[in-house]
Amino acid sequence: MLIDRDIDSDEIDTDEIDRPEEDHSINNELAELTKYVSMITSTVRDMESPVTTTSDQLPQATAHLNDLAKLTEEGTHRVLSLTEAIEINRGAMKTALEQLQQKVGSEHAEDVKSVIAMVEADESRLTDIHVALSFQDLVAQRVAKLVTILNEVQHKLLKLVVVFGIKNKNDGTAKQDDGRGSEMLRQLDASQTTALEQDLVDDILSEFGCS
Amino acid sequence: MSLIDTSLKVLVVDDMSTMRRIVKNVLKQIGFSDMIEAENGQDGLNKLKAPDAGIGLVVSDWNMPVMQGIDFLRAVRADPDLKHLPFLMVTAEAQKENIIEAVQAGVSNYVVKPFTAEALQGKLEKIFANLKSAKA
Repeated sequence: MLIDRDIDSDEIDTDEIDRPEEDHSINNELAELTKYVSMITSTVRDMESPVTTTSDQLPQATAHLNDLAKLTEEGTHRVLSLTEAIEINRGAMKTALEQLQQKVGSEHAEDVKSVIAMVEADESRLTDIHVALSFQDLVAQRVAKLVTILNEVQHKLLKLVVVFGIKNKNDGTAKQDDGRGSEMLRQLDASQTTALEQDLVDDILSEFGCS
Repeated sequence: MSLIDTSLKVLVVDDMSTMRRIVKNVLKQIGFSDMIEAENGQDGLNKLKAPDAGIGLVVSDWNMPVMQGIDFLRAVRADPDLKHLPFLMVTAEAQKENIIEAVQAGVSNYVVKPFTAEALQGKLEKIFANLKSAKA
């Protein structure tokens, strides 16, 4: 340090006269820097819980989104099966009515004809139902895109965890930051793992005399 | 009088089983009865190249795993035995660049999801009208 040095020369170095001020300035900057580093450390510490919780929640949320796509797919297949069965019946009905039209006398022929017209009208309605169900494909495609985005966010969060040395605590402390998202995930999990089928619910109800 | 040749065998390509079923139902209503399915472009290509495949029309999605619809279309157009096949793209990809890309790759026509039965039938009418005028 400059102040520890002996000045035994008559010559005064003007540069050295300025140094105490420079030192003061450096000290100030170092103090500012220390304050800043301390603030960052504190911020990183504050981030620990939300980052850990979020990186824990994301795979669950992704799985639920995939389940959602699967549920809509199953529901759509069910509706398609029913409408296909109706379509088969409708076709058989039309054939039977056309045969009946030839058998009945002219007094009832017009009535049968009008019923045939109604049955025919239902054909395009059934097709419209089929086509309307294509919403499921659009839902599945959007869900797939959301899953890709969530996977990317998770990947970036994991990078943060590695870079800042945030450890994933399994002692439950990371879960302290539970918000609405955590509660919703718990509800979604519960609906998957603990939801009972109606038959089982009815069995339990009957056991308690509530059937 | 419809120009659509409903005696042709149709290959319906989509990764979503629901969409394959929906498209087949609409095609059935139009009058087609001979239809097979594939769940991606590669699967579709294998079925087209199978001995005695006898497929006369392809209806394909764009977004699929393994081989996308656009790559499937390019593969079909690059194959001397398949390049003549009418190829209808039914997709949610409705950006201008997608349509241009498909046209440049040789798509016969393009239907945007969600579609109506009338839209699908209208596009098929146009495809078969173009085929007829090309032959004349």
